Order: sequence, then C-alpha cells, then structure tokens
Amino acid sequence: MLSQSLYSYKSSLDRDGVIFTFCGPISHDIVEGVGVTLKSQLAESEVKQTTAMKVFAVFIEQVQNVINYSQERNDFDSDMGMGIIVIGESKGSHFIIGGNKIKASKVPVLKENLTELVAMNKEELKAFYKKKRKLNTSEDSKGAGIGFIEMARKASKPLEFSFEKIDDEYAFFSIEADI
Amino acid sequence: MTRLQIEKTKSSPEIDFNPETHIHSIKGESYPENTTQFYDPVLDWINSYLAEGYEGEIVFNIELIYFNSSSSKILLDIFDMLDETKNEKITVNWIHDEDDEAMEEYGEEFEEDVEHIKFNIVAK
Repeated sequence: MLSQSLYSYKSSLDRDGVIFTFCGPISHDIVEGVGVTLKSQLAESEVKQTTAMKVFAVFIEQVQNVINYSQERNDFDSDMGMGIIVIGESKGSHFIIGGNKIKASKVPVLKENLTELVAMNKEELKAFYKKKRKLNTSEDSKGAGIGFIEMARKASKPLEFSFEKIDDEYAFFSIEADI
Repeated sequence: MTRLQIEKTKSSPEIDFNPETHIHSIKGESYPENTTQFYDPVLDWINSYLAEGYEGEIVFNIELIYFNSSSSKILLDIFDMLDETKNEKITVNWIHDEDDEAMEEYGEEFEEDVEHIKFNIVAK
C-alpha cells in the first residue's frame, strides 16, 4: 500500500531539501495560497528578502506556465493544468522546478528558444526581455511570452531543462531555475 | 468620466483612477489569473480618459510590490499609451521600497522606454 511508503517518500524529499512540492491539477487559488505561504515562510527564515522575492517570482512564472501550457488538463475544470512544481533548498541555493506535459510537436521550437536563452548573459537577457516585451504576443501564448526570460534573469545560473518522450504525441517538459 | 476603483486581491492590485483629482494609482501585487481580463477595463479607462484631453497635470502613481511577466507587458502598454500622447504634463511616479533594488531596476527599464512623459523613480 502507498500509505506505508509515504514516510520513505517524504524522507527522500527531505533529503533532497524539498520545501514544497505539488503534483496534480494547478488552479489559480493554489497559486495564491501557496504564494502567500511561501512568502511568509521565506520571510521568517534567514533567507534574504531579495532572494525570497526571486524565489516567489520564479514560482509564479513556473506555476502559471503549468496552468497555461500544460497539455494535460483537469477533467472537471479545463482552467487547471496538470503538472508538478518542486521548490527546495540545497547547498545554500534555492531551486524551483516545474514540469508538465506538452505536445511533442512543440519540442523543437521550445528547445531552440531555451538553448538560445541559456547561452545569454545578464545584459543580453535584459535586452532580449525588453525586445520581446515590446512585441505583440504570439497567438498560442496566453501570457506575455517572456516568462522564461524573467526566470532566467532571476536565476543565479543558466536554466536547466529537459524533454522526456511520453509517446508520439506528447513529451514531458521540465525546467529548473536555481537562485 | 467616472472614477475607476477596483479593490485589491491577493493577486491583483488596487486600482484607483480619479478623473476629478487627475491622480491615479495602481498599488499592490499583480499576478492575476487572467491578466487580459483584469487589465482590459483598466486600459479602456485610460484610453477614454486620454481621449478627453485634460490639459492640467496628470499623475500616475505605480506602487507595486510584485508583478509577473504578463503584468509587465501590460504596464509597458500603459506607459506606451501615456507616452504616445506626447503630453509632458503626464507624470508617472514609480514608487518602490527603498530596499527593493529589483523593483527600482524594473522602474529604470520602463523609464528607458518612455520619451515624452515624466517618469520618476521614487524610493519610499
């Protein structure tokens, strides 16, 4: 039974430094609730306020990506995207990881965009952010299309990402920002 | 023109646009569920307000603690709308906590993108 292995699952998360994890349908209510909790938790810890705000900001971009772009939707409420979010702290830095299902056909473009992004330094990221922000957003973008750039600007090292093949139609996309 | 007042929520800012005083404010946090839906009435209001062509001083106080990337795009749209009037009597006060360097930098980045209106970065 799963209940018996739950403790070892929790211990494994603790060992990895996970502060918070969520797997399932993500709604805006969850974003607000967790956001508020995360902020107060970071405020009470010894984490610097600037770091806390960066963690919060990246968390918001990550969850809103899952809500907007996950190809796996909640059966009862299509406004909810299914995905996974992990926030943790390890060796003095914070990590925020997001993962969700995407269409396999989107992989090449996303990979190309992210590869371009991870090669940029802070100045280039700023210029790219400002340039993209001025453009009208593409049709399949629900936000401003600058969420990843925002994450890259907040992160203290290049974003890490991966694509796992699920089947011919879908892939699992994950992206990590370290602060 | 009627005054536009929207109460703040956990993820959306308080809006108070006042056509009597011509002092308008956006204050709080901005990461609404649907950015377009939240900001459409705000942008519409600004459009109609600017179309009235008030000739006195106009002030926009923007005091945000946090905004997400899609709100950032909307803010730029707002500043662009104001800037396109080429009305030098429009002032934007970008108000940030004095310890919040990130918010100060965001302000500077918007400032770089406006030409005609006054854009002040104010530490509080």
